[in-house]
This record gives sequence, C-alpha cells and structure tokens, in this order.
Amino acid sequence: MFPWFGKKSSAKTAKDRLTIAIMSDRSNNSFPFIDELKAEIIEVVKKYIDVKKVDIQKETQDGVEALSIDIQLEK
Amino acid sequence: MGIVIAVISGKGGVGKTTTTANIGLGIAQNDKKCVVVDFDIGQRNLDMLLGLENRVVYDMVHVMDDGIGLKQALIKSKMSPNLSFLAASQTKDKSVLDSDKISKLVSGLKEEFDFVILDAPAGIESGYEHTIEFADRALVVVNPEVSSIRDSDRAIGILDSKSKKVKDGQEVDKFLIINRIDSKMVQSGEMLNSDDILEILSIPLIGKIPEDKGIIDASNQGKPIILDDNSKAGQAYKRIASRICGEKVEFVDVESHKESFIQKVKGIFS
Repeated sequence: MFPWFGKKSSAKTAKDRLTIAIMSDRSNNSFPFIDELKAEIIEVVKKYIDVKKVDIQKETQDGVEALSIDIQLEK
Repeated sequence: MGIVIAVISGKGGVGKTTTTANIGLGIAQNDKKCVVVDFDIGQRNLDMLLGLENRVVYDMVHVMDDGIGLKQALIKSKMSPNLSFLAASQTKDKSVLDSDKISKLVSGLKEEFDFVILDAPAGIESGYEHTIEFADRALVVVNPEVSSIRDSDRAIGILDSKSKKVKDGQEVDKFLIINRIDSKMVQSGEMLNSDDILEILSIPLIGKIPEDKGIIDASNQGKPIILDDNSKAGQAYKRIASRICGEKVEFVDVESHKESFIQKVKGIFS
C-alpha cells in the first residue's frame, strides 16, 4: 500500500553502527605500541614459564584508565 | 612561507585526487601561488585530471634522488598562471620515500608557493604517513557511506600521532569535505546527512560537494569541474578554495532536494 511509511531510515542505522565501530576503533588504536608491548611481555614471561598468548585491553572505569593484561599459559 | 595542506582519506576512491585538482586550481584562481603535488606514488592520476599527462618529464623522485631542480620538474598549468604541478613517480616503489628527502622537497616548495597541496595515498597505504608528516593542515575527504567514514577516522588518528607538527607539540588543523552527497537519498533517509557525519568525526566542516555526473566528463577532458560555472560540484569546490584562502563564504545547503531544484531552474535562466 504505502511501503515507504513502514521503512526504517537506513541512515539512522548507519549512524548508530558507525558511532559504536569508531568508538571501539579509537580505544583499540590509542596505543600504537601495543603489538611491541605484547611481544616484549611474552619474551620476559617466557624466561620463567611458557606463554601461549597475551591480550592487552585498555579499560576506562570511573575516569581511571587502566591496561588489563591477560597472559594465557601454555599447558 | 607557504602553507602545506595534505588531502587525505581513509579508503581510496572517495575523490581525493579530484578534490586536490579542483581546490588547487581554485586557490590559484584566488590569486595565490599554488602547487599541487601527487604523492600517490605508483598510481599517479592527478596529471590526468589536470590535463598535464603529456607534459610530465621529471617527477618528484627525480627531484629528490637525481638532482633535478624544482624549476625543471614543476609544470605550469595553462588553466591558471598561478598553478603548478609536480608529478608522482610511476616507476619506483613507495619505499623510496624518506623523511629527510621529503622534508627538503616540501621546504623548497614552501619557499616558492603560498599553498602546497599534497594529494596523499589512502590512509591504509604505506606512503600515507610520509605525505602527512610535514602537513600544516589536512583536508579529510569522505563519502557519506560507512566504510569511508570509519576508515577516515583511522587516517585522522595516524595524522594525530605521526605528523611532525604533532610531535613538536602543535596541532594539525583538520577540515572535513563531504563528497558525493546525493540530496534525494539524504532526504529519504537512505544516506547519512552532514550533521551526522560531523557528529561522528568531530572535526570542522569546510565544504559539501553534491554528486555530479559532470565529474566524469571533466576528468575525461582533463579540465577540473571548477571551470564549469554551471556545475554544482564546481561551485562547491570554488567555495572551499575561497575558504582556504581565508574568505568567509556562507555554506550552501546541498542536501535539501527542494533547493537543488530551484538552483536547477536558476541554472536554466542564468
């Protein structure tokens, strides 16, 4: 009948998706040295115990920024 | 001392080179000495859009590596005596670019010209960081489309961490150009409008370019669309060039379809 009445604006969808994607890009790219840091952590920890992989996330809580570092060990 | 402006984007194909050609010519038409430099090494196109492809003898790599003087390598455009062009190298790969050589090249150009416009490779490519290194300002070209906008945010991020000005504790001023706006689609809610894009990227706007079929014809002929007084895109580029030269120019609504209809009628009777 009037198909255009029921149509959701895809521009709105684009805006919402972009806002979230860019927010996550920005927090992931805010430490350009992160790959180097990972490699160095692996080197250091490997001296003592076998490491499978390292994950580093930047987190912000109540205005405090922190790096959370997860080190997964080789079984 | 001239001002160095890098024309950048996240992904390719959004109209960077077209923008460089038109704005370069527009600045020259504002009585400023302007040089446009093709930094998109390996895929040079700016010479074609300016109709200068048959006049290229020396390119920037000849200037940087082989001792060819700027005066020999620069090509004067016939469209404006104020506009010169320096070609990209087609043969050597991007790794030939080195900071010291680029710094020297750019300083040389700054002494001769009021504006030095650098047509950058896309932000995801390796030559990008070199192009933005010595920029005083950047024009960020996006299309109203998700991948272009997202990638441009990353390109801005690289600019904000890698440019010399930023490393020296200053800021590189960034201005947004929204290219290829389809007013009909914006009105029907199928295309992001400029307010949304500005909110997402949060950098100031310097111009909105409507979609214009004449762009293809202009590039076919090697005559930038800014020379066409009846073209809406050409007029939009003219306004941007004047803003870059420091003039206050009102923003024209290119997104409401109704007004573009009135402009069409005006175009018929003018």
